[in-house]
Amino acid sequence: MAGSALRRLMAEYKQLTVNPPEGIVAGPVNEENFFEWEALIVGPEGTCFEGGVFPAEIIFPTDYPLTPPKMKFKCEMFHPNIYSDGRVCISILHAPGDDPMGYESSAERWSPVQSVEKILLSVVSMLAEPNAESGANVDASKMWRDERELFYKRAKEIVKKSLGYGS
Amino acid sequence: MAENPDNPIDEEIERSTGMTRDEAILAQQDRIQKEVEDTNPLVSERLPLVVLKEEYQADPVYSKKIEDMYASFPYIRKTRGDGNCFFRAFGFAYMEKLLTDKAELHRFKETIEKSKDTLIALGFPSFTLMDFYDTFMEVVNQIEEKPSLSELLATFCDQGMSDYLVVYLRLLTSAELQKEADFYQNFFEGNRTVKEFCSQEVEPMYKESDHIHIIALTSSLGVGVRVVYLDRGENQRANHHDFPEGMPPQIVLLYRPGHYDILYGE
Repeated sequence: MAGSALRRLMAEYKQLTVNPPEGIVAGPVNEENFFEWEALIVGPEGTCFEGGVFPAEIIFPTDYPLTPPKMKFKCEMFHPNIYSDGRVCISILHAPGDDPMGYESSAERWSPVQSVEKILLSVVSMLAEPNAESGANVDASKMWRDERELFYKRAKEIVKKSLGYGS
Repeated sequence: MAENPDNPIDEEIERSTGMTRDEAILAQQDRIQKEVEDTNPLVSERLPLVVLKEEYQADPVYSKKIEDMYASFPYIRKTRGDGNCFFRAFGFAYMEKLLTDKAELHRFKETIEKSKDTLIALGFPSFTLMDFYDTFMEVVNQIEEKPSLSELLATFCDQGMSDYLVVYLRLLTSAELQKEADFYQNFFEGNRTVKEFCSQEVEPMYKESDHIHIIALTSSLGVGVRVVYLDRGENQRANHHDFPEGMPPQIVLLYRPGHYDILYGE
């Protein structure tokens, strides 16, 4: 089982290295273990997270790609779809039926033809367009909905911290 | 810590297992899953149908119906009940037939070669799609070069290979539903679109199959399947239905509520 997962992960790593999507770097922490990756995601331009560089880890199950990986930011984040411990909560990381947030039925779900690249691109769009309806961080969802200016300020601080400037 | 210290059941669970109630439930689900995996291969050897009757010792309705099937279907091959059983049963039974039918194998190979382009045209990402297509073709080529039943069985019992075959059959099913969306849309209640149905009920692993999956896959491949229904219905004998309607069946599957196995006529 882990054999096909390993082959697939090696192919995906190669693909991401040869043809990296803009603002995303990702690969195994060390090449001895292809089931633990780290990623760096650049905050998308023209959004409140612009300029930030956010590190994250991606952990793959042994039956990948039949079931999805888990993803967690390793830096402080403040976002409606990221739990306070950094875990990312978007529909593509869940198989249908495994539905903690009651996603809309049209939301994109995990299936074996999805990929790490698709996940990372979804995370970039999640940063650009938070979904307050399926909030993993209730405080962030409320602030995004009711006090947008305050949310932008908080996001700016997160961006600074990600670059190593404390506040 | 017990989740609810006032609840005596939670306390009892914690005292006897050292786990909270939720942890204990998850651990039990894992044990059951493990037991299913240990006792049931993904695809079994061909067994006399009497093994099925042994599962229903105390059940006169099922026992009678199974006895009536002995003459027409003396053998059964069981599949593991993991939500993929229709695809695995169909895949094995049909490929087993291809071992001895060169003309059909030739036709099938051409169909599969063409299917890749159909899938890409429908918008499936070719990079990940090819992973499954290549594995599927590898098995088709293996049948062509060395038509061995024991090797085919070994392939289907290898979790990694077997699941990849299931994924490709699921993709073929999804492609057929999307290509003929105008027709299949009539099967859905509510306002779920064909595309949504495919991404929720067809493409993901472990999702059980319904009639619509069977109609789509058999139509897409041009492979007739007879499904024999064994249930608690009033009829004395097990009913059957052919998919797609009117096509002579090449293989026979047994349906019991929630599960598919393979039946053999001789």
